Amino acid sequence: MTLIRKHAAMLVGATFLAAATFTAPAFSQDRPDITVAVQQIVNAGALDVLREQSNVGARVFYSIFETLIDYDRQKKDLPQKPGLATSWKRIDDKTVELTLRPGVKFHNGDVMTADDVVFTFSKERFGQLPEQEAARADGKTLFTATASTATEGKVPPAEVAAVANRAWPNLDRVEKVDDMTVRFISTVADPTLEGRISRYGAEILSRRAYQEADSWLDFARKPVGTGPYKVVDFKPDNVLVLEAHEDYWGGKPPVKNLRFVVVPEVASRVNGLLSGEYDFITDVPPDQIATVESNADFEVVGGPITNHRLMVFDKNTGPMKNAKIRQAMTHAIDRDTIVEVLWGGRTQVPAGLQWEYYSDMYLADWKVPEYDMDLARKLVEESGYNGEPITMRVLNNYYTNQVSTAQINAESFRQIGLNIQIEMKENWQQIFDNTSGPRMVRDWSNSAPFPDPVASIVNQHCQNGQQQQVGEWTNEEFNALCIKLETSTDLQQRRAAFRRMLEIAEREDPAFTVLHQSAIFYGKRKDIDWMWSGLQSMDFRPENFVISTPAN
Amino acid sequence: MLRYALLRIARALVTVSLIVSIAFVILRLSGDPAIIILGPEAPPEAFKAFRHAWGLDQPIWVQYLKYFNAIFHGDLGNSMRDGRSALQVVGERIPLTLAITIPALFLKVLIGLPAGVYAALHRNTAIDRLIMTLSVFGFTVPSFVLGLVLAMIFAVKLGWLPSGGSDTWLHAVLPIFTMGMIGAAVIARFTRSAMLEVLGQPYIRTASAKGLVWRDVVVAHALPNAAIPTLTIVGFMVGSLVAGAVVVESVFSWPGVGRLLVTAVANRDLAVVQVILLFVGFTMVLANLIVDLLYGWVDPRLRTKRLQAGT
Repeated sequence: MTLIRKHAAMLVGATFLAAATFTAPAFSQDRPDITVAVQQIVNAGALDVLREQSNVGARVFYSIFETLIDYDRQKKDLPQKPGLATSWKRIDDKTVELTLRPGVKFHNGDVMTADDVVFTFSKERFGQLPEQEAARADGKTLFTATASTATEGKVPPAEVAAVANRAWPNLDRVEKVDDMTVRFISTVADPTLEGRISRYGAEILSRRAYQEADSWLDFARKPVGTGPYKVVDFKPDNVLVLEAHEDYWGGKPPVKNLRFVVVPEVASRVNGLLSGEYDFITDVPPDQIATVESNADFEVVGGPITNHRLMVFDKNTGPMKNAKIRQAMTHAIDRDTIVEVLWGGRTQVPAGLQWEYYSDMYLADWKVPEYDMDLARKLVEESGYNGEPITMRVLNNYYTNQVSTAQINAESFRQIGLNIQIEMKENWQQIFDNTSGPRMVRDWSNSAPFPDPVASIVNQHCQNGQQQQVGEWTNEEFNALCIKLETSTDLQQRRAAFRRMLEIAEREDPAFTVLHQSAIFYGKRKDIDWMWSGLQSMDFRPENFVISTPAN
Repeated sequence: MLRYALLRIARALVTVSLIVSIAFVILRLSGDPAIIILGPEAPPEAFKAFRHAWGLDQPIWVQYLKYFNAIFHGDLGNSMRDGRSALQVVGERIPLTLAITIPALFLKVLIGLPAGVYAALHRNTAIDRLIMTLSVFGFTVPSFVLGLVLAMIFAVKLGWLPSGGSDTWLHAVLPIFTMGMIGAAVIARFTRSAMLEVLGQPYIRTASAKGLVWRDVVVAHALPNAAIPTLTIVGFMVGSLVAGAVVVESVFSWPGVGRLLVTAVANRDLAVVQVILLFVGFTMVLANLIVDLLYGWVDPRLRTKRLQAGT
């Protein structure tokens, strides 16, 4: 930035110098201003963790909001750690009690208490009160007070209520024990409660700020959380300006002003980084890493995240009805070559649809189907396949390297004798559509928002998950195990259920096959010591942001 | 004249209605905003709730009738992304787009017009060939390529200008320059062709033969007669002021209407797309009207023809 102003001044004279000086940021102050160029800030146009369900939101929300239980986000195995709660304990199978961190202040100066926590998980915040539903049906954004509510309240969009319902399917209530103690009480035995309390979507909001906002949208445009940075300005698709929250409980934030600017084009993000316009850029594709690192002042950091790329099968159509065809495809994917060639070895082939941060629930000995073309050919032969076309629906690089990956896999499938046809689609509706042609194979990715298989295999592939909801796949035994995995509190039983579910969905009656772990890369100034996170959040807290040498 | 103008406006309204209808059908049939806006990993019940809230679960003809009924009641709808009025969403982007498209238009005319005239008056000289070479370059190089090359030179290599964004007036320089250069190339080429055609006309020889100095021949006789095709091109450029910077805005991360259009189409945010189309249609109609009036002003023969035709 300084460099740009200097040259501009030389170029156009003193008037221009004055104009440029007016915008002078950063290094004249005690703390720097930092600009992060992102492909998008949030997809849904609002800063509400229960509305924004995309990966992109996760990286900005961690600067604004915090959960009661957090993660050591820069560690590979992502262990849980105290967040806005200093400790927690199980009272029984249905109840977790948490002690709140004292002296935590919201961006509006209020001290966080149990009332804020109770409100954050209330039906009013979730938009699930009958009054809210009635107001929503009438197209209103506010509901009128009734006996059940003290004041007039907000009406969040219907999808907020739906997402909250999915995030907390069995939550009965959050109870205030005293000002600094709360209890989460489930309607059924729930081994995942601690995980859900730590998940994206469980961030604590200021009750007063929410209730005083003019509407849900007003709050979602300028939300009040406890994070190290507070929202100053948010223009969707353009810029999110955050400012240091000086009363942050975790120490003085190291950045004065943190700006996330939308720069949709990769080349423009790279140009902006190399010209000093931006300090960080996100979503650097693997083929641009060398370009960034060709400049000694910059580097690329990043790696695998808690998201896996999948190939998903529709078992109800054409040759895909035969499990042997699906099995053959899972064995014909050369995952290691994909990781090596397309990702430069910067990600990895995971052990199926699970992550190491599942901890006790992680099945270390589980593996994705081995790459074995002879076995794949044999399976095709045994299936009695007659050459009927098999369509693979692909979006144009919605996922990084998506098209190249599809092309590599299609070629492998052809080599085992399958008549593969790639169909390029423009959006997800066209991917899911089963009226305009046979739906057989598609791409997808699955995340695990908390460290338990319920977060991924249950949420996405069981009865209420997308794959069964759109009618691509179902399996009776698998569905029975879903319930056991969700409600059993016996670790060994849960591990056994999870293992059997993987056997069914990845091997016997393939619903999907994991291709590789997704990875995300950031370009950054080399003089800034900063670590990326497998949870996709960008952390600008004191312990994760240090400028090692004076900036030029 | 009034009848002529009203006829043009009526015709334009039909055209805009057709565009809006076609866009409605195509956008509604080719993508589900629920999945696109909420993301493919959102729970199925969120998709259902979203579709119900926005009436997307109703038959398309019901949605269409409701949409047009609302338009006739002055309600252009809300953005499905955040529930704000689509008019407000688009309205706040228009000044930003005009901030680059209007200066770019001036640049196009100020460079393209003299360059075209000069090239025509110095036909087959080195300067003519240079101008035409640059013009062909401007014609053929896509704006995103020129934009990225300019950013590489002036932002990355020289560090003189920002590579993208909209924080200061310096951020506008490269987008304006990119659009200006490409547009100037187009105008120069059309102006040169028009001038060459006019310069070969008998009345130019007559004007010269009767003893007028060459400068007066060019200014009084050649330029007005060559202005019609150039006016047409400039009219198109005026018409595309609102949404004619889609690519350049994307390359330079300029948060104007063009980038909004890309996002809105990708998200199937119909109300926002329709408001942009209405603005574009309105601007085009206005630009065409102005150009038509200017035709009559620069060429009295057209004015007389219209009067004789009673339109």
